[in-house]
Amino acid sequence: MANKTLLVAQREYLENVRTKTFWIGIFIVPVLLAGLVGVSVLLQKLREVQRYSVVDLGGGELMARAEREFRAGDARAMWRIAQQMKDDPALAGMRQGGGADGEPTGEQMTAVLDWAARQDPTELAKLGDLGASKRFTLVSPQELGVIATAPEEVQRELSQRVHKGELFAYFVLGADPDTTVDDFRYVSNNFTDDALRRGYEAALTRIVQRDRITAAGIAPKVAAHIQQQVACKQLQADSAGGTTVVKKENVVDQWAPVGFVYFLWMAILGVASMLLTNTVEEKSNRIIEVLLSSVSPGQLMQGKIWGIAATGMTMVFVWILFALAAAWTVPQLLGMSGGGVIVGVFKALQNGGYLLSFAFYFLAGYLLYAAILVAIGAACNTLKEAQNLTQPVMMTLMIPMLSMVFIGQEPNGTVAKVLSWIPFFTPFTMMNRAGGPPATWEYVGTSVLLLVTIWLTMRAAGKIFRVGVLMTGNPPKLKEILGWLRQS
Amino acid sequence: MEHALTLHGVTKRFGSFTAVSDLTLEVPTGCIYGFLGQNGAGKTTTIRMVMSIFRPDTGRISVLGHPDAEAVKDRLGYLPEEKGLYKKMRTAEIVAYFGKLKGMDRSTADLRARELLTRYGLGDWLDKRCEAMSKGMGQKVQVLGTIIHEPDLVILDEPFSGLDPVNRDVMRDLILDMKRMGRTVIFSTHGMEHAEQICDYVMMIHKSRLQFAGTLAEVKRGRDRGIQLDYDGDGAALTGLPGLSRLNDHGKSAEIFLRPDADPQQALRWLLDKVAVRRFDVREASLHEIFVRTVDEAERRLATTGKER
Repeated sequence: MANKTLLVAQREYLENVRTKTFWIGIFIVPVLLAGLVGVSVLLQKLREVQRYSVVDLGGGELMARAEREFRAGDARAMWRIAQQMKDDPALAGMRQGGGADGEPTGEQMTAVLDWAARQDPTELAKLGDLGASKRFTLVSPQELGVIATAPEEVQRELSQRVHKGELFAYFVLGADPDTTVDDFRYVSNNFTDDALRRGYEAALTRIVQRDRITAAGIAPKVAAHIQQQVACKQLQADSAGGTTVVKKENVVDQWAPVGFVYFLWMAILGVASMLLTNTVEEKSNRIIEVLLSSVSPGQLMQGKIWGIAATGMTMVFVWILFALAAAWTVPQLLGMSGGGVIVGVFKALQNGGYLLSFAFYFLAGYLLYAAILVAIGAACNTLKEAQNLTQPVMMTLMIPMLSMVFIGQEPNGTVAKVLSWIPFFTPFTMMNRAGGPPATWEYVGTSVLLLVTIWLTMRAAGKIFRVGVLMTGNPPKLKEILGWLRQS
Repeated sequence: MEHALTLHGVTKRFGSFTAVSDLTLEVPTGCIYGFLGQNGAGKTTTIRMVMSIFRPDTGRISVLGHPDAEAVKDRLGYLPEEKGLYKKMRTAEIVAYFGKLKGMDRSTADLRARELLTRYGLGDWLDKRCEAMSKGMGQKVQVLGTIIHEPDLVILDEPFSGLDPVNRDVMRDLILDMKRMGRTVIFSTHGMEHAEQICDYVMMIHKSRLQFAGTLAEVKRGRDRGIQLDYDGDGAALTGLPGLSRLNDHGKSAEIFLRPDADPQQALRWLLDKVAVRRFDVREASLHEIFVRTVDEAERRLATTGKER
């Protein structure tokens, strides 16, 4: 008897897998994703370099120093570069030590920035990404064709150029920053891109702070001591009441589970909808009745569910292969320290447990929603009719989508815990909470509840399928469908 | 085993609608049995119950001597009224698939599918997709899928509908072949001429109730004889025939029934004046006439008892 289920499943699988559309569909997703990433990287590269100018009311020394400091970029970027500069004796002592997680201490950060400010900006730029500064280039008023020399005149002419769009922005640096910085100005008509202003301000702040420290007669060591930033050493607690240093591979970015849930959601919805379409089509094909003379409705339904499951698994499996391949290449390309969902997911993919729970929750979630959708498909004659009935299902499915980010941030919160115990959300929520992670008993309890629900839903679906699959004419009302459940 | 199929007091309701009501029927092994009735009379529901797609609400069904049709499913062949194929599958593949679903092993099913298709003139189509075939060819493929596993009982729901005359003959030969091999064939049809040509037994359901059942001779016995007339001319004149009781006018031919007191010879004389008679034949009523009259009588009975079904 089970043999017939297998025959149905096998036919279903082969029919799908043999079509070109199926394989095109499989390959087009990674290609599209890669294309999207590629295009956004390309767009970043293609961004125009914006010109800015500076009017230094104090004679020009501050301007030169600010330019250097700005070019030195943010401290973290500099720290990465310092890690590569093995041979520079000035950087000795900055490479080793550092925080527990390899991040720089506040002291080292200051030292690196000092060092970077003394380097040639163009040479530095060759070493790595310096942040926002590379998108902006300094041009002097003379280069812009400003003949006037009086600061007010120069400012007026620069303002005209900003207004005309020839210049992105210009700064006015005060004459006496040691006393006041109230006369510093930033003039631009672009209000959305403030990377230049913020980067330049940070650079100016560092210079002014250093100068004021010197002026106040404070020894540089004392200054560094005062300015030291606090970095908490990251530890995790164990059962014995002790603590251990958090290893980097144990830190799961909160975005990784979110990425997984999103992927899980897409896969379950995609494959289960495939089943719905397939059932409705087969019903309108009139082939169902021929099949029912050889197999029981239950066998037919199970065969379809598993055949489509195999199809979906093939699809997901190929995608996972792509993802694994990408997991080893993309982080290098993007730089592991970069944030974002993609990198987080790729990092987590290198941890096998994720793949296993993904596979389990995919299968369980699919079976649950497949049972519902196959029953709906059997009751309807056209996809349009089916859409009305699937609406409540889709609404339900929106909940894990909406709570995705929230649960990622609060994996052991009340909402997360409650949703875990509602079988329709269990696969998504438990995957979502992986960063927590939930207690073992929660995994076991929710899984048992989920499996029992799947079994019950399958039985109900079987009854609906048996009656619905040969029905033609008007689609049944929900009340009628519930009536079928009580029959036989 | 004497009967391939017996139904005893079988009733099937869908909600408040009774599709089949208290049906008792015996189908002897090795015969060709025609199921007649209007659309919606209950033929398909009966067949579906025999195929254990539906379960009867009350009554017993015994198929090939088994009380549970499910147990002998693999020895039955069924061609439903709504005929469909997997469009993307190849002809030989789908016929073999039906065989495998009936428990044939892979290699036998593949081999027999190709052999059958070739024998019934579809040799060139073995590896073509079903979507490329005409309706008639598709129907042939389906019938072959129905009989590939050499079933003991074959049930065909409207096998002739949508077929051209050549393919109708192929279908008829196929049914006769099966009878020759000792199998039992049940088919439902609206084409009375097919039933008359090839059926050993016929039964008729009207509005869920059995109206008659038996051999063709038994069904026709006791009914008044009719005049089979082939003619040219204005058929409207026929309605004026003295002593006319019923008329089935087909335009070029007609079946005429006279009141018991009227004389066929008189009628012939009258007809010769009105139309050009090409054939005049007094014989037993056609199945068509029996069908139409049964519907009439049943309706009248229902109207007088005033009860719906």
